[in-house]
Amino acid sequence: MNGSFSRTWSKLTESMLFLPTAALLLILIADFFLIPGFFNIEIKQGHLYGSLIDILLHGSPTMILAMGMTLVIATGGVDLSVGAIIAISSSVAAIMINPTIVGMNLTDPRLFINNPQYTWAPLWLVFVVPLVIATLCGLWNGMLVSYWRIQPMVATLVLMIAGRGIAQLITNAIQIIIFNDTFAFIGNGYYLFPFSLYVAAVVFVGAWLLTRRTSIGLFVESVGINYRSSFYSGINERRVKLFAYAFCGFCAGIAGLIIASNIRTSDANQIGMYTELDAILAVVIGGTLLGAGGRFSLMGSAIGALVLQATLTSMLSFGVPASAITAVKALVVVVVILLYAEQTQTFLRGVGKVSLRQEATR
Amino acid sequence: MTKSRSLRIVMAVAVSAALAACSSSATPVPATAKVYTYKDMVVGFIQTGSESGWRAANTSSFNEEAKTDGITLKFTDSQNKIENQITAFNTYIADPAVNVIVLAAVDVTGYDNVLKAAKAAGKVVVIEDRRIDSPSTLYYTYIGSDFDLEGNKGAAAMCTLLTGMSGANVVEIGGDQGASAAIDRAKGFREKDSACGINILDSQYAAAWDPTVGKSIMDADLKKYAGKIQGVYAHNDELAIAAIQSIDAAGLKAGTDIKVVGFDATADGFKYMITGELGADIECNPLLAPQVYKAALDALNGVTGQPAWVPSQEGQFAASQGAQALQDILKTRKY
Repeated sequence: MNGSFSRTWSKLTESMLFLPTAALLLILIADFFLIPGFFNIEIKQGHLYGSLIDILLHGSPTMILAMGMTLVIATGGVDLSVGAIIAISSSVAAIMINPTIVGMNLTDPRLFINNPQYTWAPLWLVFVVPLVIATLCGLWNGMLVSYWRIQPMVATLVLMIAGRGIAQLITNAIQIIIFNDTFAFIGNGYYLFPFSLYVAAVVFVGAWLLTRRTSIGLFVESVGINYRSSFYSGINERRVKLFAYAFCGFCAGIAGLIIASNIRTSDANQIGMYTELDAILAVVIGGTLLGAGGRFSLMGSAIGALVLQATLTSMLSFGVPASAITAVKALVVVVVILLYAEQTQTFLRGVGKVSLRQEATR
Repeated sequence: MTKSRSLRIVMAVAVSAALAACSSSATPVPATAKVYTYKDMVVGFIQTGSESGWRAANTSSFNEEAKTDGITLKFTDSQNKIENQITAFNTYIADPAVNVIVLAAVDVTGYDNVLKAAKAAGKVVVIEDRRIDSPSTLYYTYIGSDFDLEGNKGAAAMCTLLTGMSGANVVEIGGDQGASAAIDRAKGFREKDSACGINILDSQYAAAWDPTVGKSIMDADLKKYAGKIQGVYAHNDELAIAAIQSIDAAGLKAGTDIKVVGFDATADGFKYMITGELGADIECNPLLAPQVYKAALDALNGVTGQPAWVPSQEGQFAASQGAQALQDILKTRKY
């Protein structure tokens, strides 16, 4: 019995999903005792409503970002520009729905007040164009990293700084309120669960199929471990990296659409601020090593994103001032980094080994 | 040795050339009696950022007014960071062409040293929009809204909206904690909220006026005080609109189940008043450039006796005015 415990224990702790899941459970258990009604889920207007649903709703953009970021980090890189790409994609979408606001042309505001379906460009273009632009932004990052051999952190820093400026140029630095109901649905709508969660699920399944059912996943890991030997074994490591960054940009584009839809505003100055750090954090919490490249876990990153959002939602429900939440987030980061430290890992494995040894001496 | 000497010669030549250039174009009027016009003004404008529709209108007011008056305007978007404002301040102090610095402060404190440096360098400083805590001797004047009075108006508007409701429980979604607009709108609200027995259930601030944060705050509040909230006091229109989205997701109706008060009276705020979701909107006038430029010109010409604070004139609007009336007003608005 003891032996089976230690075997399951070591299997558990060695799984990449062990730590992120444990962290998420810990937060939820704390919520259960500290915040009355945190687990209440009601049905309002035919959809689920409650703090847990909020975690899924607000966590889905980070989840989507984390998918792209996982692949980039697995190739041994990092993408700091996703926050700026979010600003660009949401600005492009908003201006396509309502370009009159940027011209400060408010002569007939009734157009978009009285018609909740009003949009200047056809709605399918409002979704497609920002995503194409976001993917191009990702390709640009990929080009810098793979063909010009610029360090990923420096290469993506370019767009991180310039991107927000580009977004402000697009919108003339004006916040554009989005009145179109269909567009607002992707970030606010529900089919029982938040619609954005389904989007996140589709991105997750897509990324999973792409990396686990084709050889792309293997290529990504091998490039991350050693790009030279990958090159000599016939992998076009440049294209692999290009793909990873382009996919990351694409994910950021989707996240941008969801966030803008959720608050019904494109806000070039603030939207997506520091989300690149959230995405990196989600990936790190999920067990993919930052800086080293190689083995990655999409599921781990998705759970990592939920850990971050659960922290944020719990803090707000608990009444921690919104401005102090970053400090709490920092605490979570420190704990996670400590958990991944070699010493802690050895200790966790040791717990299992001790019981194995006890069995052997018996 | 030879190098430094030749350098000195070059400099001497340059200086004398510059002096010659000056004297050749010098006007007969002595420098002390020079009467400045708008054409002589070079303004370094340090804006907070572009965080709201209000701010956009404020910026374009300075741009357009400068164009019509022939003022040279240098602009800094400090992205809501005080360190960027200090850097911009030092740049403008070092720039010999700039004779006026206009500041829309991100924070209430932290400007004393640069203000002293600007004064020593003989630059005219006018504070616009946001109040700062520095001594008023360090700048010429402050032109901006009476946020405290706005807060009073907000409380009165909330009281009107809450008439006939089951209670008077209000949650507050504040702006950036360090901004004078947020500090004084909170203070002004508390000065007058006892008039109809408003009970402030919760008060949270959204850093950098970020509506994403505002929405998360409202989401949490709606669960924490389920069924208990009758009013939302949001510090600007964007935060109010974020709260309206959150109320909507909770299956409630803003304007009916929960009354919302916002600030600024931007075009976006108007649109939500027309739909009835935003109950009242307190105006905060962003078109301050004419007053600011006038004050700066007075300062350059040595006019003294300017009050330390010139409050701007502001009104307020409510959904109860009716959609048609509001649409007619909206057509006349500039922001």
